[in-house]
Amino acid sequence: MRVILSIASTTVGEAIRRRVLLIILLIGVLFLAVAPGLTVLSARQERTVLIGMTLGIIQLTSAVIAIVLTVYMIPNEIERRTIYTILCKPVQRWQFLVGKYLGAVAALGLMMALMTIVLVLVFALQQGVQQMDQLVLLAKAPAMFFVQMSLLAAVAIFFSTFVSPLVNFFLSGGLYLVGSLFNSFFEVISSNPNSPALAKGFATFANTILPNFANYNVQNPIINPGQIIENESIYYVRVTIYGLLYIGILLVGGIVIFDRREV
Amino acid sequence: MAAAIETINLTKTYKTRGGARVDVVDNLDLHVEEGEIFGFLGPNGAGKTTTIKMLLGIIYPTSGEGFVLGKEIGDMDVHRLISYLPEKPYYYEHMTGMEILRFYASLFGIKDDEKCQRLLEKVNLASDATKTISQYSKGMQQRIGLAQSLLNDPKLLFLDEPTGGLDPIAHIEIRDLILQFREEGKTCFISSHELSDVERICDRVAIINKGRIAAQGPLDELLKGGRIEITANGLEEPFAHSFRDTLPSAIVSFSHGRLILDVPDEIDINPILDAIRDKNGQVASVIPRRKRLEDLFVETISEDDPKRAREDAARKKEESK
Ligand SMILES: Nc1ncnc2c1ncn2[C@@H]1O[C@H](COP(=O)(O)OP(=O)(O)OP(=O)(O)O)[C@@H](O)[C@H]1O
Ligand SMILES: [Mg+2]
Repeated sequence: MRVILSIASTTVGEAIRRRVLLIILLIGVLFLAVAPGLTVLSARQERTVLIGMTLGIIQLTSAVIAIVLTVYMIPNEIERRTIYTILCKPVQRWQFLVGKYLGAVAALGLMMALMTIVLVLVFALQQGVQQMDQLVLLAKAPAMFFVQMSLLAAVAIFFSTFVSPLVNFFLSGGLYLVGSLFNSFFEVISSNPNSPALAKGFATFANTILPNFANYNVQNPIINPGQIIENESIYYVRVTIYGLLYIGILLVGGIVIFDRREV
Repeated sequence: MAAAIETINLTKTYKTRGGARVDVVDNLDLHVEEGEIFGFLGPNGAGKTTTIKMLLGIIYPTSGEGFVLGKEIGDMDVHRLISYLPEKPYYYEHMTGMEILRFYASLFGIKDDEKCQRLLEKVNLASDATKTISQYSKGMQQRIGLAQSLLNDPKLLFLDEPTGGLDPIAHIEIRDLILQFREEGKTCFISSHELSDVERICDRVAIINKGRIAAQGPLDELLKGGRIEITANGLEEPFAHSFRDTLPSAIVSFSHGRLILDVPDEIDINPILDAIRDKNGQVASVIPRRKRLEDLFVETISEDDPKRAREDAARKKEESK
């Protein structure tokens, strides 16, 4: 465990110094800060639109960070031969991979926490501090995004054990888009009795096998029309467990490949 | 004494883009005794780094076996007892020298700042402990690498070009450190192109060429047989070149009437000197030279290359039949 934590904390240290990540983060924060100035709607509409927009900014920025952070992580270690100095010590490959992943998730968490703080500040400034309890509620969506991004990072780490960073970028990015946009679409096809058998089979297959990123877009009823949430907290717990299970499967798959691979 | 490293038919095959298979390491039988400094030599691309990586379990052999400290390669218990200094390593740039040592120590489950400090002193980096690796020079990076490789008091060290890119002073310091390791009873397995260093410190060497051992043994045995360099002036070119036929073991060079003849010392040189005088040449000097590792290296490789070429040709012929 010590070994994994050591590797993870070193990974965090490295990640939060990566210039390209800091630039993406800075752009995200800038957009968050200027977002209130971009709306020209009535006060009532404004709040809903603004929430949707700022959460969208956080989500997009986090997704880009999650992918850029993880696709290079293992390939860089190999290219720079740092991995040799680690694997020749009493460190198993799975420990290395899990350490790297946890480090990535921790770094991601830090950056997302920063954006969430900015988000809350922006709303506090715009609407006054008296609505503080509402502001705290606002932070719930980024918490779900964090589970989503952890899943995305696991997807990217999994692919990084056998494809190049560039391919991985498109693979993970593509899977993220498909998994968050088309999941409800697949659901509709597979549950519709009139859809052709082949399409139905495919949709069911895709819906089962692809990571369901849409689960975590709880704040966005436009993207997730079919979602009727009766008990919010049970729903959160359920999708979090789903995420953890999926992450576990991806990590095990990644370890199996990485173990056999030449580095 | 027990063997620190033993390989039997260790082989690593890579596929090239064209689909051909290349045996980068080809049926290698290495034998390294405990407590010795072993020089692992060979031209660029001979397969030295590949062999070391196999012994460390970083890459997997295609066939054959290897044993490190008596255990099969890849055994994690062995990883507590060995260490590795890779060629041209790269350490996490954002960390300071001290943090790097703490990090690598933690991988052994060691938490001992005093030890890290002692090691920094040992490699002369005590005053640079708070600089980040990105501020380190190449030599300093090599020295922090050496320090991290000593954290676990290894019994066996793999050093891949430990003096690569270092200035002469740093060179000598590292050489002395390695000699000190032997005093402490450690085994050192060194891959290096610095033949003068190897000659000075190694007990035994192996020279590999294209993945196969071309020579292996105690250094003083391999270096038996020196050479003699004869320099003579006032000679004609055809005569000078005639030595190429009469003395195949000689290295002949000739320019502007000056002949330099480099011959093995077991040859009787009197007939050569007589022949030169017969042609009215003046013998300028006769210098006996003890055999250098460099000579052995060049000799071994230049004998091995045509042999390998012949073998390859024979195999091709066999295959095409
Ligand atoms: N992953 C790989 N795939 C294909 N060929 C490889 C791979 N790694 C090494 N080789 C080839 O194996 C050969 C031996 O490489 P190696 O690095 O072991 O040489 P070396 O003896 O350490 O050389 P140097 O003195 O230059 O460090 C080279 O021809 C190299 O091109
Ligand atoms: Mg090498």
